[in-house]
Amino acid sequence: MMTAASIQTYTLRVNGMHCKACVFLTESELAEHPKVVSAKASLRSRSVEVSGDFGDRPLDEIARDLSAFLSEHSLSATAQGKHVAWDEFGVAVPIAIGCAALFVLLQEIGVVNLVSGDTVTYGTAFLVGVIASLSTCMAIVGGLVLSISATFARSGDRTKPQALFHVGRVASFLVLGGVIGLLGSAFRLNSTGTFVLSLSVALFMLALGINLLDVFRWASPLQPSMPGFLSKRTLGAANLTHTFTPALVGGATFFLPCGFTQAMQLYAVSTGSPVTGALTMFSFALGTLPALAVLSFTSLAVRTRTKQGVFFKTVGLLVILFAVFNVVNSLAAIGVIEPVFNW
Amino acid sequence: MKSIATSVLLFVIAAALVSVVAVILLTRGGAKAGDTTPTNVSIVGGSQTIEISAKGGYSPQSTTAKAGTPTTLKIKTSGTFDCSSALSIPKLGYQTILSPSGETVVDVPPQKAGTVLTGLCSMGMYSFTIRFE
Repeated sequence: MMTAASIQTYTLRVNGMHCKACVFLTESELAEHPKVVSAKASLRSRSVEVSGDFGDRPLDEIARDLSAFLSEHSLSATAQGKHVAWDEFGVAVPIAIGCAALFVLLQEIGVVNLVSGDTVTYGTAFLVGVIASLSTCMAIVGGLVLSISATFARSGDRTKPQALFHVGRVASFLVLGGVIGLLGSAFRLNSTGTFVLSLSVALFMLALGINLLDVFRWASPLQPSMPGFLSKRTLGAANLTHTFTPALVGGATFFLPCGFTQAMQLYAVSTGSPVTGALTMFSFALGTLPALAVLSFTSLAVRTRTKQGVFFKTVGLLVILFAVFNVVNSLAAIGVIEPVFNW
Repeated sequence: MKSIATSVLLFVIAAALVSVVAVILLTRGGAKAGDTTPTNVSIVGGSQTIEISAKGGYSPQSTTAKAGTPTTLKIKTSGTFDCSSALSIPKLGYQTILSPSGETVVDVPPQKAGTVLTGLCSMGMYSFTIRFE
């Protein structure tokens, strides 16, 4: 006997949902399932309400069945309650403190003083890049790389967006290095502009860091993403956000107020040559690549689910520490407060 | 049980690292405070010159100078590519990127007694102060 179609609504948790584009993607992909009547996803609660006739099948099975239709996410039948793994902080907090202490130690040793000599060769530029990536610049650029990479990694994207960030960064240094060499002047923001920029980046990092802790669900919608109306039109936008944004952000790091970058830019400008300028900034960017790459691909080393929880909390804490550090330094640089960190 | 033991161990290691850093910071701070370098300020014929070197930070970190005197700040760099080259002195509205090697001159109008000028790098982590008395 055929049972009358009985539509039921199930609430399932969506794993890997981190932006508005994911909401549309999830809804449209689920709608293609023959048994699904409607699907309404929510970024705020990272869940989807699916209505359809699945008979008496257990929630787990339904979740698995529907997940097959999702290209970038998966569904699980875990309870909706706010499950914060506080015990993971027990490991994450000391590791984060330890890393911060190592960072300070590294600066105290004066790794910065390893560069000397007056002439700038491409080799010098590369070396300056290496040192820059180990210096306090790590708090700005490295912190940004870390926060973005970990956020993507948490939704399962562990290599492509990160790699694109680096490609975007190195490419932009090459091109813009040539531009400033040609123009004979660098894009110099005044102190107000620098303050606004560095403060914005620091606050952005703070939001990402808090989000990584997975304690406050409300922070998730705060992440910048493609505007809703853009994503709805072209579903390829989910890919666009993951491809375009990291490359763009990587390229934009050229403008971050890292003293080393600025010193190199001054040199590039002084050469008056687009080729020398381009290659100098390119060498510098390559020098910064190893340290930044390590930061962005650390997530690859963490395989097991239990370790992942600790990993992202540690990264979240570190990112927050870096963000606070940058906020304090931005305020000091503009003269609002007295310099706090001095080494 | 195991997770508590792990946490405790990690906290101990972290505390040890923090202590090491704290010790280094405190002892280094002592050395710099005892650094009475009177020789970076010179007054010749009513005009004051203050010399500061910039490389991996600024030195000396604190200077005392005479108030009410036209002053010239001379900043020396030698192979400086780090943040110290991105110097700004907010009170003077002064901002520049120092050339890697050489001397940069900054004109400072006579300052009132009690004024403290702070110069810092663009990221705010290296700084120097000049106290006018």
